[in-house]
Amino acid sequence: MSKDEILNKLSDAVVTGKIEQAKAGAKEALAANMEALTAINEGLVKGMSIVGDRYAAHQVYLPQVLMSAHTMYAGLDILLPAIPKAQAENMSRCTVAVVEGDVHDIGKNIVKTMLTAGGYDCIDLGKDVPIEKIVSTAEKEKVKVVALSTLMTPTMDGMKDVVDGLVESGYRSKVKVCIGGPPTSPAFAKEIGADHRDSNAQDCVAWLKKAV
Amino acid sequence: MTEGMTHVERVMAALTNEKADRLPAYPIACGVNRKLLNGGKGVSYRDWCHDPKLFAQAFIEGQKYFDFDFAIGLMDLSVMAGDLGAHVRMDEENTPFVDKHIVNSLEDYEKFVVPDIKKGRSGVLIEGTRIYSQALAGQVITAGFLEGPLLALSQTAGAERMFLDMFTDPSAIHKALKVITEYDAEMVKAFGTTGCNGLCWDYLWANYSCLGDAEYGEFEEPYATKLNKLTGENGMALAIHNCADLPHLDTQIKKFKPAIYSMAYYPLIPGSPSASEVIEKGYADNCLVAGQIDPQLFIRGTVEKISKVTSDLCHEVKTALCKRNLNARYCIASGCEVPPDINTKLENIKAVVDVTKKEGRLN
Repeated sequence: MSKDEILNKLSDAVVTGKIEQAKAGAKEALAANMEALTAINEGLVKGMSIVGDRYAAHQVYLPQVLMSAHTMYAGLDILLPAIPKAQAENMSRCTVAVVEGDVHDIGKNIVKTMLTAGGYDCIDLGKDVPIEKIVSTAEKEKVKVVALSTLMTPTMDGMKDVVDGLVESGYRSKVKVCIGGPPTSPAFAKEIGADHRDSNAQDCVAWLKKAV
Repeated sequence: MTEGMTHVERVMAALTNEKADRLPAYPIACGVNRKLLNGGKGVSYRDWCHDPKLFAQAFIEGQKYFDFDFAIGLMDLSVMAGDLGAHVRMDEENTPFVDKHIVNSLEDYEKFVVPDIKKGRSGVLIEGTRIYSQALAGQVITAGFLEGPLLALSQTAGAERMFLDMFTDPSAIHKALKVITEYDAEMVKAFGTTGCNGLCWDYLWANYSCLGDAEYGEFEEPYATKLNKLTGENGMALAIHNCADLPHLDTQIKKFKPAIYSMAYYPLIPGSPSASEVIEKGYADNCLVAGQIDPQLFIRGTVEKISKVTSDLCHEVKTALCKRNLNARYCIASGCEVPPDINTKLENIKAVVDVTKKEGRLN
């Protein structure tokens, strides 16, 4: 199988949500001595970008996006360990979390997927995450982006607590803080001292590419 | 202020597109009303949502304090999931939510069983609705509030899990949905005995940010159609609440034909329909549409700010209704529940009602 055929196989697997095809394509890429980052960026990520564009255009919906994301991660599980250490260290790190008190994580998972597809090494802290854990992870892992999500009104203030925690820790100036979720707004982001608020994961990644 | 019509007269006029003195008003104040109990000291969310008398009394006190045009008994969106077996985290002052789902494999969808609706919080909801519906009968239009099957399943199974399984094994999802529809049907019949005038369904996933027409048509529409019919058969008007950013209006208003449709507006989301757009596109022609004040304003806004927003909405709506030759076919409401947060400002809720009484007047 040629390089282009392998890359197309990976991309198609993500677009159609075929996990086994993604795993097979990832193994074939490595067997053909393809650079892992090439297989990721020109195969898996290309497919995820197509899905992201279709989602933004309301041509596909959450079930398909989530299936594509799982497919991409299945391929990444095989390809990421094959990235040379020096290359891996050059990837920008980010952390994503749903703030404490909230367990709704679909939005966060989509942002994580798009950040991963955008070349970020994502540390997913999950949902209902204590403020201190988000702050300490940012500092310890030297992340460049902290992406926070919440669906619920009562937990919005947790986002402010994270920003305040980053200020107190002295790490605020080294990181961009992005927030999202239905109750948030650009005005709220400004009010709490976050850098950005977005409604759309792909637009957020595009903003970060310019800002970081 | 003496008004030209009673609450019931006004809402009935709005529902039938007859002339009314003003637009109806109903900020969706539910859990927040518990702050009015116990002599104004309030009760915890936990106590409120486990005791039918406290649940009902909050709506009764809310009516006295705010002078709404409706009373709609939303408890929270984890009632059915909890009674189906999911673990519900019950903080003292916040909305309860599911923190442990019960679906870990496809086989788990086959284990759903209709619970005894006289027990658990389903029973509290039914009995509480009975108490406030009887207490407020003749004063305002009352309605029960119930989660639709797909919402209840997503709360029980976990939304991400459910969406993935829709893609890989739709038959498993349908097995659970059939059981939850039976559960909903029992609830409808029970609500039908309480004396409430209507039943408000939360069909949350009719949202183009989540599901397309094909998916919604497969996974909720047939079940909702059956339950909507059952609602009417049990003597209740059909109401639907959907706080989605991109709601399926054609399906939920034109096809389901509710008497009332409550919706939100997200100005930052391209395509999210504003109040005037909804009216101009004909969705209020045969339905009383309600919305769309940002619920955040009840916590973060000042009385001045929320009064201005309410006034602007009244004028926007009246202009659009006039263009469409409609009467009071829009209820000034919050786009979603007024946050039941301890920091929610009761004076902001009151301001919405008071401003609507003045600025929502119709000639």
